[in-house]
Amino acid sequence: MTTTAPVVAFDQVSKAYGAVRAVDGLTLTLRPGETVALLGPNGAGKSTSLDLLLGLKQPDSGSVRLFGTTPREAIVAGRVGAMLQSGGLMDEVTVAELVRLACDLHPKPYQVNDVLARAGIAQIADRKVNKLSGGQAQRVRFALATAGDSDLIVLDEPTTGMDVTTRQAFWATMREQADQGRTVLFATHYLEEADAIADRVLVLHRGRLLADGTAAEIKAKAGARRIAFDLEGTIDEAPLRALPFLTSVTVSKSGSAAGSGQTIRIQSTDADATVHALYGLGVYPRNLEVAGLGLEQAFVAITAAEEAKSK
Amino acid sequence: MNSLIKLELTRALRNRKFLFFSVMYPSLLFLLIAGNADSTSKVDGTGLTLPTYMMVSMASFGALTAVLMGNSERIAKEREGGWVRQLRLTPLPGRGYVFAKTASAAVVSLPSIVVVFVVAAVVKDVRLDAWQWLALTGAIWAGSLVFAALGVAIGYLATGDAVRPITMITYFGLSMLGGLWMPTTTFPQWLQDIAKWLPTHAYAALGQAIEQSRAPHAQDIAVLAVSFALFAGGAAWLYRKDTLKA
Ligand SMILES: Nc1ncnc2c1ncn2[C@@H]1O[C@H](COP(=O)(O)OP(=O)(O)O)[C@@H](O)[C@H]1O
Ligand SMILES: [Mg+2]
Repeated sequence: MTTTAPVVAFDQVSKAYGAVRAVDGLTLTLRPGETVALLGPNGAGKSTSLDLLLGLKQPDSGSVRLFGTTPREAIVAGRVGAMLQSGGLMDEVTVAELVRLACDLHPKPYQVNDVLARAGIAQIADRKVNKLSGGQAQRVRFALATAGDSDLIVLDEPTTGMDVTTRQAFWATMREQADQGRTVLFATHYLEEADAIADRVLVLHRGRLLADGTAAEIKAKAGARRIAFDLEGTIDEAPLRALPFLTSVTVSKSGSAAGSGQTIRIQSTDADATVHALYGLGVYPRNLEVAGLGLEQAFVAITAAEEAKSK
Repeated sequence: MNSLIKLELTRALRNRKFLFFSVMYPSLLFLLIAGNADSTSKVDGTGLTLPTYMMVSMASFGALTAVLMGNSERIAKEREGGWVRQLRLTPLPGRGYVFAKTASAAVVSLPSIVVVFVVAAVVKDVRLDAWQWLALTGAIWAGSLVFAALGVAIGYLATGDAVRPITMITYFGLSMLGGLWMPTTTFPQWLQDIAKWLPTHAYAALGQAIEQSRAPHAQDIAVLAVSFALFAGGAAWLYRKDTLKA
């Protein structure tokens, strides 16, 4: 093993289904210990990218390397654990039997009981696999992906089929894997999921990488903070529009301030600098609010910007 | 690999319906067909009594059930459900899945052969030399590989909903027309002409040759060999195609 080889290296990887370019010239590198979200709407090419990463599909062009080797070599060496979006299970066997199989097959296996406990399925160990709820089945898949001491864990939309509470519990389970120093890569279209777990977010849209950064950077890229305040009287809009880091300004009559006031709403990529400059205008903003735009809106904005560009 | 075989076997042995149809049902059918037959009159042109003749047919039928019925449907379903893809994310070599299925079916097919023999010997007084019993068991067991390959091929050919009817038609067609349920000598001539080219007919004929203490017909050996090459080759080709597509 070479310590210098990245965990994952995609170089100009493309994969098309007929006319659909599912993955289009994807280049990316994952470093050891990163927790990375692959974020994108349905059809963005997340599953295809992960299939290529795992060697389940072959790229039309470009190269995919894991730890400096082919995906298959990395899997045979036990360096990768993965949970697929369409990951079927063997039915008519118990959860424990299936997890034991995964442990037996892994070159660096953990104890079956530990794997069950960590995945939170110890209490359903004797249940038949085909008698599980959607969320329980996802946890069994997760157990199969973490049956041994792999360096990279790949999860494709792991919380599909879970309700809000089980989802948040599952995030804790995922974070544990990351805390053990593994590289974790997961696909999701839940923006809060990327925000909650990942220290790096890759935004994928139509098979192309739109953005690569921390969740905060992704938000910034789309003008991701919202500033709102009231002003008394009427104000000249020109200096407002000249404030730094703005992406938009709307001025409306404020309902509260007895007819004479105005409410200003601003989106800014650097709220601190914008507010600082605002005070520099000599105005007295009241009811000042600065709020995050949320990754959801940030994502919509990035996607919209991309679509506008491609037209 | 061994752990997968073990788990496949555990699952097969847990499936009562499958065990009934592959292990018990052939014996019941044997009693039904040969139960009232007297032990002296012979099946046309074979020199064998009906119980002796049908014992081999039913043992072959049982082995056919064990290797064909379980696997084709499971493979098709597990391909569709994604279990096959999940297994590809383990160090298990790609063919390990098919080998494990075939091996576990072979374990079940052995009792389905032996139970028919025991019932025939005890209830219908079928008597053969020791070497014949051993050779019969070995030949029928080994011959079932031909149909195991067919089961795998169907599993990779058919998709979820179609696999059951396709398996059933193949299974009943091969059993009936191949003469596993009644001697083909009772068929009209044109049907006999078709039947003698079926692998199931050659399969049972192999066992009956052992009962008659003579060498098997070259044609039967050839039919089995060609069928095996065809089914195994087809299965391998379909398997590779499926792997590239997945
Ligand atoms: N097997 C396939 N055959 C044809 N088109 C496919 C296939 N798999 C995916 N696609 C198409 O490729 C695109 C990317 O799909 P996918 O990778 O599943 O996206 P995601 O996982 O982000 O939802 C979509 O337009 C999808 O319809
Ligand atoms: Mg997907």
